[in-house]
Amino acid sequence: MLEIKNLHVKLADEDKAIIKGLTLTVPKGEVHAIMGPNGSGKSTLAYVLAGRADYEVTNGDILWNGESIIEMEPDERAAKGVFLAFQYPMEIPGVAGLTFLRTATNSVRKKRGQTELTTPEFLKVVKDRASKLNIDFDMLKRPVNVGFSGGEKKRSEILQMAMLEPSLCVLDETDSGLDIDALKVVSDGVNALRSPDRAMLVITHYQRLLNHIVPDKVHVLAEGRIQKTGGKELALELEQSGYAEFQGKAA
Amino acid sequence: MNVAVMKTKFEQSLTEQFNHVSARLPGGAAVGVARKAALGRFSALGLPNRRIEEWKYTDLRNALKEPLAVAVDDDTKVTVADLIVALGPLAHLEGPRIVFVNGGWRRELSNLEGAEGIEVAALGATLTAAQDKIGEALAGTTGPDNDAVLALNTAYMTDGAVVRVGDGVEVGKPLLLVFMRAGNEGRFVATRNVVSIGKGAAATIVEAFIGLPGSTAEGQHNSATEILVGDNARVTHVKIAADTGKATHLSNWMVGLGAETVYRGFQLNQGLGLARNQIFATYHGEGAKLDLSGLFLGRGTEHIDTTLVVDHAVPRCESRELYKGVLDGEARGIFQGKVIVRPDAQKTDGKQMAQVLMLSPDAEFDSKPELEIYADDVVCGHGSTAAELDTDLLFYLRARGIPLDTARSMLIESFVGEALDRIEHEGVREVVLEFARGWLANLGR
Repeated sequence: MLEIKNLHVKLADEDKAIIKGLTLTVPKGEVHAIMGPNGSGKSTLAYVLAGRADYEVTNGDILWNGESIIEMEPDERAAKGVFLAFQYPMEIPGVAGLTFLRTATNSVRKKRGQTELTTPEFLKVVKDRASKLNIDFDMLKRPVNVGFSGGEKKRSEILQMAMLEPSLCVLDETDSGLDIDALKVVSDGVNALRSPDRAMLVITHYQRLLNHIVPDKVHVLAEGRIQKTGGKELALELEQSGYAEFQGKAA
Repeated sequence: MNVAVMKTKFEQSLTEQFNHVSARLPGGAAVGVARKAALGRFSALGLPNRRIEEWKYTDLRNALKEPLAVAVDDDTKVTVADLIVALGPLAHLEGPRIVFVNGGWRRELSNLEGAEGIEVAALGATLTAAQDKIGEALAGTTGPDNDAVLALNTAYMTDGAVVRVGDGVEVGKPLLLVFMRAGNEGRFVATRNVVSIGKGAAATIVEAFIGLPGSTAEGQHNSATEILVGDNARVTHVKIAADTGKATHLSNWMVGLGAETVYRGFQLNQGLGLARNQIFATYHGEGAKLDLSGLFLGRGTEHIDTTLVVDHAVPRCESRELYKGVLDGEARGIFQGKVIVRPDAQKTDGKQMAQVLMLSPDAEFDSKPELEIYADDVVCGHGSTAAELDTDLLFYLRARGIPLDTARSMLIESFVGEALDRIEHEGVREVVLEFARGWLANLGR
């Protein structure tokens, strides 16, 4: 279970608060959506969960399975099962996709006390999972994300997610830059990972992703805190009414 | 006004030692004359210092204070087992191998199997046996006359490889020349290789400068390679200078390119206290392609200098330079790349890039590109960057569970990879990568 308690976050080198008292619980087996206007702190929340150093938690706590993770390094969190699918996956020239996937997979397996995959084992798994995401295996021989289209980058993120077998998946604007076909492939990939042992937090600006990844709950994030929580129908209401009613409230 | 500059202890010693060792240095009368003349030049010039523009970042006069005894007829015991340990990743490289210990050819450590098509002889023996004209030619260089380091090389060279690949001969396996530093006392070692590649021939030559583990960390190696590449030949020429921290490595490559040749030179520097790598490349025929690349890895107070002079003397030639450096601690890297395009050298195409990854705020990188262009129809460019590891990329890798050390190594490896990719021979490229990985594995320790 993910428990975010009265979380306050600011940029590490500026005093401006971005998240101001956010409280949220996502039980295992559930998918929660976070929706909100631009600048509401959605991406900050994603980065803070993954442990990016540019942000500083000034108050509150984040518990994953009862354990506080806010002092943990990003790789420790990954080993504990936290996975962030980036809104803008980065290009890593000179590092082949397969090398990257194998190093990552075996790093977390080692930390989790599982045996590391041998090359043939790894290749078998990665081929299988890549084909389900319509990822051409040859693409993985190329440097990570270099020259990939927006859709290819997002599929590559979901493949990484599938390989690392996380227990907490955070998807940051996974729908941005995707056409309808790509959206379907990515959503199918995410849905395939839904399981009673896995919690998911889907961050999005638009409702359309939630037609494909149907959430158990929807939270509205604005002004750095959760303003409203409801079922999946809340997403449709927001599509009609917009976020105006949640903005300017705190002031 | 004539200002008499006081000789340093080093300069004085290297001038005086000549009288004691000259009788034991190989070569007939003509070589002796060339040696003496070279010593005279060194004595007059003194070691280069910061007041000489080409040496302003590498003041040898200041850096080399303590003289070492000149190595002649060295008989330090080295076994085949020792050699294998010292070779490290190079031990697996398939191909003929010639081994020099403290500047002397060791027959029992060398293996010329697989050298079909290559004629190889010891420079020392060749100098001794040669008639005066040949001796004179071997003692001469196409490098600059006013280079004190090169003058010292001529004065004191004991041995090296004389290599000839005949016209049209394609040699598949790389020829490995190993120069090993061994023993409990630091030595001043001077070696020279003279390489001639025939027309339409193809060859890969690797020079390796290594230390025998357990030996003193002191040592100075003054090395020179003259390489003349015939028309239409293809050459890969690699230097691996990988030592253990304190040694001084002074090196000169003089490269002459025939028409339509493809010459790829690569130099790896790591674990050297002080290094100066000079390459003088001159085009003799049109349509030649020169590709110089390298990787320098520095930590502690190491000082690594690469200085290139590429002389486009004829039209329609191409030059590419790509150097990558990784500097930690207070290490200092220097890249000087001079490209001369002579008035007749129209349609010259030159590109130069030097990029350094700074792992410490106390590291320093000095980059000095120099384009001297006298022709009007040319394309020439240069660039230079110094950057830290990308923290966003580090975060991305770590968010995928990759520990910090591994993530750093992966990013550094990806940074240097572009330069390593310039090495055409896969086996050699793998060896260079293994050396670099060994260096990276000890980062921050």
